[in-house]
Amino acid sequence: MTLLTALAILIIAAAAFLLGRAKASALAGDNYAQLHSRPNYHGLYSLMWVLIAGLGALIVVSGLAGAVIDSTMTSRASALTGEALSQIQLDLMLNDARAIATGGIPSSVDPAREALAEYYTAAGFWRGVAVLIAGVGAALAALLRTRSQISMEWRARNRSERVIRAVLAVSATIAILTTVGIVLSLIGETLIFFNRIDWRLFDYFFGTTWSPLAGVFEGKLDPEKVGAIPLFAGTAMITVIAMLVAVPIGLMAAIYLSDFASPKVRAWTKPLLEVLAGIPTVVYGFFAAITVAPFIRDNGGVIVPILGLLAAVIVGFLALLLLERARPGFRQSLTRQAGGYGLVAYFAVFALGGLAVIWSANPGFTFDVASESALAAGVVMGIMIIPFISSLSDDVINAVPQSLRDGSYGLGATKAETIRQVILPAALPGIVSAVLLGVSRAVGETMIVVMAAGQGANLTWNPMETVTTVTVQIVALITGDTEADTAAAPAFALGFTLFFITLALNIYALRIVRKYRELYD
Amino acid sequence: MTVAEDLGGDAPAETGAVARIPSASARTAPELKMTARSCDVFYGDNHAIKNVDVDILDNTVTAFIGPSGCGKSTFLRCLNRMNDTIDICRVTGELTLDGEDIYDAKVDPVQLRARVGMVFQKPNPFPKSIYDNVAYGPRIHGLVRNKADLDDVVEQSLRRASLWGEVSDRLDQPGTGLSGGQQQRLCIARAIATAPEVLLMDEPCSALDPIATARVEELIHELRENYSIVIVTHSMQQAARVSQKTAFFHLGHLVEYDDTTKIFTNPHDKRTQDYITGRIG
Repeated sequence: MTLLTALAILIIAAAAFLLGRAKASALAGDNYAQLHSRPNYHGLYSLMWVLIAGLGALIVVSGLAGAVIDSTMTSRASALTGEALSQIQLDLMLNDARAIATGGIPSSVDPAREALAEYYTAAGFWRGVAVLIAGVGAALAALLRTRSQISMEWRARNRSERVIRAVLAVSATIAILTTVGIVLSLIGETLIFFNRIDWRLFDYFFGTTWSPLAGVFEGKLDPEKVGAIPLFAGTAMITVIAMLVAVPIGLMAAIYLSDFASPKVRAWTKPLLEVLAGIPTVVYGFFAAITVAPFIRDNGGVIVPILGLLAAVIVGFLALLLLERARPGFRQSLTRQAGGYGLVAYFAVFALGGLAVIWSANPGFTFDVASESALAAGVVMGIMIIPFISSLSDDVINAVPQSLRDGSYGLGATKAETIRQVILPAALPGIVSAVLLGVSRAVGETMIVVMAAGQGANLTWNPMETVTTVTVQIVALITGDTEADTAAAPAFALGFTLFFITLALNIYALRIVRKYRELYD
Repeated sequence: MTVAEDLGGDAPAETGAVARIPSASARTAPELKMTARSCDVFYGDNHAIKNVDVDILDNTVTAFIGPSGCGKSTFLRCLNRMNDTIDICRVTGELTLDGEDIYDAKVDPVQLRARVGMVFQKPNPFPKSIYDNVAYGPRIHGLVRNKADLDDVVEQSLRRASLWGEVSDRLDQPGTGLSGGQQQRLCIARAIATAPEVLLMDEPCSALDPIATARVEELIHELRENYSIVIVTHSMQQAARVSQKTAFFHLGHLVEYDDTTKIFTNPHDKRTQDYITGRIG
């Protein structure tokens, strides 16, 4: 019946459009230009009011009738059984009655339920009739009213635009209200959690032991074991590893795509790269768990020294930057040492130093690598993020005006010099915001970490060990078999903290993007 | 070698039907800097420049005039091989700088562009500080040994672009924050800092107001002391004011090339006359 009513309203709306347009046309006659609004707008205005009035009446009447039926059934159920029913019994009874009425399968059948079902069927019919009358009536009233308003001077165009604007505003409001509602509920639940741990915020933000459900058998959270530091440290470590993989590869891919690839290569490379972004993260997850993590475990003897070497060279590079800043020209003088091989020697010292540190810690180069490691999760997550960085950076690099490239080439710069000294600095704000968006994806990523990094809240610096992240702990809390009321509180607190961090990152990224736009607009 | 000697020898053989090379200059003739002989340019199938012969003299301002789409900018971009960056563009014929073929396989376009600098229609300062904008060329070409020399080059370039007085106290501010006219003079300073021998200017004043235009024109006049300058312009008054030689392009042909005074008072070709009197273009 409701569907029928809606259909009738749509038909009336279509009729309203045609009638309004026809009336306006007829009014105008040959003085078409004298009509304030074109006939289509008169039709549109009529149509919109018919829809708003008709569907509005339908929703209101249907809702009111539903409420009346429910309350009547509730009171009748108590009267029929002659005893006070608990809420759950009542719900069951009403559901059974509805099932009998609509031909479903009830849990049990008795006279009281059948009587209720009979009422439900009858009431349902009258409800349908009421909805039909109200909906069609309102629609027809709106049709007549708007049609009577049509005249040469009637500003249907301005008015229908106002109605459209209102519809758009309502849609936007719904989206905003939803967000606000989610944030408010996050805040509320977080406050409840803090209340349960007696407002020991310090323990939450700086504690190093995470096992919030340890005291659950005594019916309360153990405030000693709610330290979120290991989770955030794990998140940070995996994010850093992921970005170390994604940023260089993504950025270099972007530079290749935007400035070196021929249009033909670019035409098929870019979509291919973006396919990476379309792979579900759960697929990346088991790829990490089944392929990458065991590979790392089996080859720890090779990977650990390589990592140590890389870390040492990176430290050496940073030290060089600092020294160059403190004493300009340091790098040049270093290059001239040792017969022109000064710089090579400098990095060799750092590399050997890195290896020496690892050797002193483990002379046999036999490493006990966990089968789930931060490295495996981080590397795979990095691969997942590459297309985000490369695609966004490619757009940003392409947005650097050709005139800047020409200016640089015109001064006799090579392509590489132009990219390094003009294009990248000009695109830097956009690239930074691409990286920050990548970071917020890495922070929020769950599946890969669940499968490849483990669940133990382990506070460690070693990327070869198992760690856990905020999102993984939320999953563990919610899907665990502890009752939802208790488990949800720490999950909400973690969720809120994570939300806050991601929000801050996104706002920062947006600000950078805005600054970047101002530069060229 | 003077122009007269050079052209006297092979003018009949070299010059096409449309281009008229001047016979002699009244004053002491400047040196020949760049030459083009039967130069053709194609964009894909489009024949943009047809059999152009031009001589660019040292310490002279040469103006290229002509209606939009006549190929004057395209030809200008051949002179420092900027067209190399456009894939579908093909250049044939002989173009020389100091007698060397610039399209020879041995010539590195990057080095060529350091010798033949370019200023563009729209001011395009890099999003860097004013100082770094000017220092860009000297840095990449290793023209200076230390910071003091670089400071010196930057100051000299800005002075010669008559911008020093306006920016000397804010060299660390972004170049994009200057006004349009200042930006264009910054771009000129940036081009001078690389110490080119020839300066190509592609409608350098078309985005500027009359006051900024006057300053840039004044600047062109002063720069002529040290450089060979080629300027593309839509403004015939500008060509008449700043140049000593003028080349008129029409539909990819070089219609006429002569002393500026001759072009504007007594043009040889009917099309030139029609253009400068405003009947075509």
